[in-house]
Amino acid sequence: MIRYLLSRLGSALLVTVLASIGIFALIRLVPGDPVSVLAGPDATPESRAAIRAELGLDQPFWSQYVHWLGDLARFDLGPSYKLGGDVGDLIADGALNTVVLTLFALVLASAGALVTSTAALVWDKRWLNSLLSALNTAAVAVPTFATALVLVLVFAVRFPVLPAGGTPPGGFFSHPDIAFQYLLLPGLALALPAWAALTRFLTEGLRTQLQQPYVTTARALGIPRRRIVLTQALRNALPSSITVLGIQFGTLLGGAILVEAVFAWPGLGRLIEQGISSRDYPVVQVLLLLSVVVFVLTQLASDLIHAWLDPRVRLNGVS
Amino acid sequence: MSSSAPAHPRRRPRRLRRLAAALLAATTLLAATACSSAVDELKAGSGERQEGGTLRVGALNDIIPARIFTNSSDSINLLIGSVYDSLIDYPLDELEPQPSLATSWELSQDGTQLTLQLRDDVKFHSGRPFTSKDVEFSIKTWADPVWTVQLQRTAAAITGFDTSDEHAITLTFAHPLSNIFDLLDMLPIIDKDTIDQLREGKAFVGTGPFEFASWSPGAKISFTRNDDYWRGKPALDGIDVSVIPDPQAQVAQLRSHQLDLILGASYRDFESLGKDDQFHVNQWDGAESQVYVGTNVTNPALSDVRVRQAIAYALDRKRVVEEVFRGAGVPISLPWPSYSPAYDEKANATYDYDLDKAKTLVDEAKADGVAIPKLPLTYPSENPIYGAIAQIVQADLAKVGIEVELDPQEQAQVIQQLIGAKFPALWILSHAYAHYTPSTLAVSAYPFNADHNASLYVDADYKAAAEKVWKQKAGAVDPADYAALDEQLLKGSFLLEIAITLPQDASSTQVHDIGETKRGEPLFYDTYLTK
Repeated sequence: MIRYLLSRLGSALLVTVLASIGIFALIRLVPGDPVSVLAGPDATPESRAAIRAELGLDQPFWSQYVHWLGDLARFDLGPSYKLGGDVGDLIADGALNTVVLTLFALVLASAGALVTSTAALVWDKRWLNSLLSALNTAAVAVPTFATALVLVLVFAVRFPVLPAGGTPPGGFFSHPDIAFQYLLLPGLALALPAWAALTRFLTEGLRTQLQQPYVTTARALGIPRRRIVLTQALRNALPSSITVLGIQFGTLLGGAILVEAVFAWPGLGRLIEQGISSRDYPVVQVLLLLSVVVFVLTQLASDLIHAWLDPRVRLNGVS
Repeated sequence: MSSSAPAHPRRRPRRLRRLAAALLAATTLLAATACSSAVDELKAGSGERQEGGTLRVGALNDIIPARIFTNSSDSINLLIGSVYDSLIDYPLDELEPQPSLATSWELSQDGTQLTLQLRDDVKFHSGRPFTSKDVEFSIKTWADPVWTVQLQRTAAAITGFDTSDEHAITLTFAHPLSNIFDLLDMLPIIDKDTIDQLREGKAFVGTGPFEFASWSPGAKISFTRNDDYWRGKPALDGIDVSVIPDPQAQVAQLRSHQLDLILGASYRDFESLGKDDQFHVNQWDGAESQVYVGTNVTNPALSDVRVRQAIAYALDRKRVVEEVFRGAGVPISLPWPSYSPAYDEKANATYDYDLDKAKTLVDEAKADGVAIPKLPLTYPSENPIYGAIAQIVQADLAKVGIEVELDPQEQAQVIQQLIGAKFPALWILSHAYAHYTPSTLAVSAYPFNADHNASLYVDADYKAAAEKVWKQKAGAVDPADYAALDEQLLKGSFLLEIAITLPQDASSTQVHDIGETKRGEPLFYDTYLTK
């Protein structure tokens, strides 16, 4: 197991280093120069040269890369070209907002899926199934940003009962009731596609369970359908839905970029979008590398768990 | 026959049901009976003047510390206008300097020395008194290449500083500077003790009506009232600026009364807000910019001036103003607004829409062997305004036999091409600074720079005309020299003006007395709120 662990760690490290070189090179290959963005069109050539030197962009590629790697090793993410502040602080602030929004949407989507799936099978009415199917299709088909705009127009502008955007003035924890109201619309917009996917999966899972022999036995014993769905069937259908929930979390993080724009929600999505558009290399490099590291660590963890459970994997992996 | 299920399986449904019920109850409770509503402020106001209060503003862009002196974004303009003072201020609609931190001034006969008397009752937000040394420091900072500023050449042409009197300064110039007062209007007086924190975006210390309080990058900038402001205490307690890059989101937040004032919305949204009696739309004549079609004169098709002139005649400027800017603009052939000393009504109508003239010029050029292939028209893709103009230009030019291919590109790429003069043929962008002394545009705004510009237009007569209007005594430039500059701009036709565009903002009717500087900075010194 130790040998397997070391070999997996080695390949994870190699992937991360190669990705860091790729990221560092790719962002520099994108047309558009951070110096031009910072200096603006009216700056003198002297100004542009001074800024280029100050940012270290007059150095050769490898020298810039090694310098960046050295800073990373010391956990010094450096300042953002555009915003001036430390990249680590910017990411920490944005990450909190994005994670809170994403988790809230995940809770909404899961709770919604649980309620609608079980309701559909407990009552098993044709009209209810048709309605849920239509809602499901709409939730998947309508783009997230369009849903977001409609929610703002209806619940913030036409019937002003909820904020149109922004984060709660006192933060998330000083007034949870206010924070909840700020989270509701962006959370809903983000949750709808995930709700649709989870509902479809859970409903199918429950239907499959209801065709199992133990259900036939239970019904023969006179146990009400409602109880069978809410206890046996649900308990057996839930584990596979948890896997889908994990996949949906990644999808939600992606969708957050669009929702953050519509709801003026200062999260990581907005940070990377603005970082790319202003060629803010330090911000983009770190965010992209962070996503690679998260992916690599997730893969590593799943590989190790798999290997721990199945000796064949670790033996094959090493050989 | 009834059957009772065993006890243990029933525990789970109960737990599940309880959990679901608790979730539902908590959600309902929080949503419906929340003790505080996030939209309480929606209640109609009484109209009575409020004591203090915080103005909530929406801005499209965040602060970029490295570009803090460039007038390049709405939040930067707001920060500079609120935190700093200039030595003089121009009124919006003229170029007559008015006292600010300088109470009076005297220009030498030959235009190479300027003595300014300074206020003696002004303090920086740090409590340090303002003196002539601060003027020297601010001008020298302005001339430092590490800062990207307008009028750097003008600041660099100030060669002598006499600061022997704390409350007066004499500036000596390398040569007469016709736009010296433009510099003094644009130049914020900055605090030398905190310049390093300024570069890092950690502190902005000036002498203005509001003090910088905090900045959460990408989210919010806050200011508090300067109780010791030399003009008197402002009415507002403070200003909170939310950075909201999406104009639609800004409009939604204004309509839902989460914001009192928005600086960035589309012209169409401003038009619709203007028709709603809950909102004011302010239009700031005097802080205008210009939208134009640029031409690369080294492109074989565009090297013949007749083709460039044909494009100028073919532009349906009125349509652009009406459809894209919803009337908030003025069609132009030359960059100057009507109050500019270089303005000439007749010259400004040179390229009035005339398809026949345009076609004739194209035919003449083609007859002389000029090939006009499909020309790329580059513009920034992020701003829908440019896309809309590009489509109109494409349709206009098709009418006179010039085919255009739309080439939307990212803003960062467009700026790089502009600076590097790399546009293959045509492009659409905006420029500013025509509302100042004309020499500021001619020697300082990059698209017009006679030494090196994005059009690669090099012409000795144009350069001489531009230099001549710059190196004359302020306020005493010969009108004939401005006429000569206009003539050169029209003759070259390397930059084809479309329209003057007028900046707008929108506020709720509970906000009163917002001002604006010529620099495009919103002013909140007199602003107050009503309940």
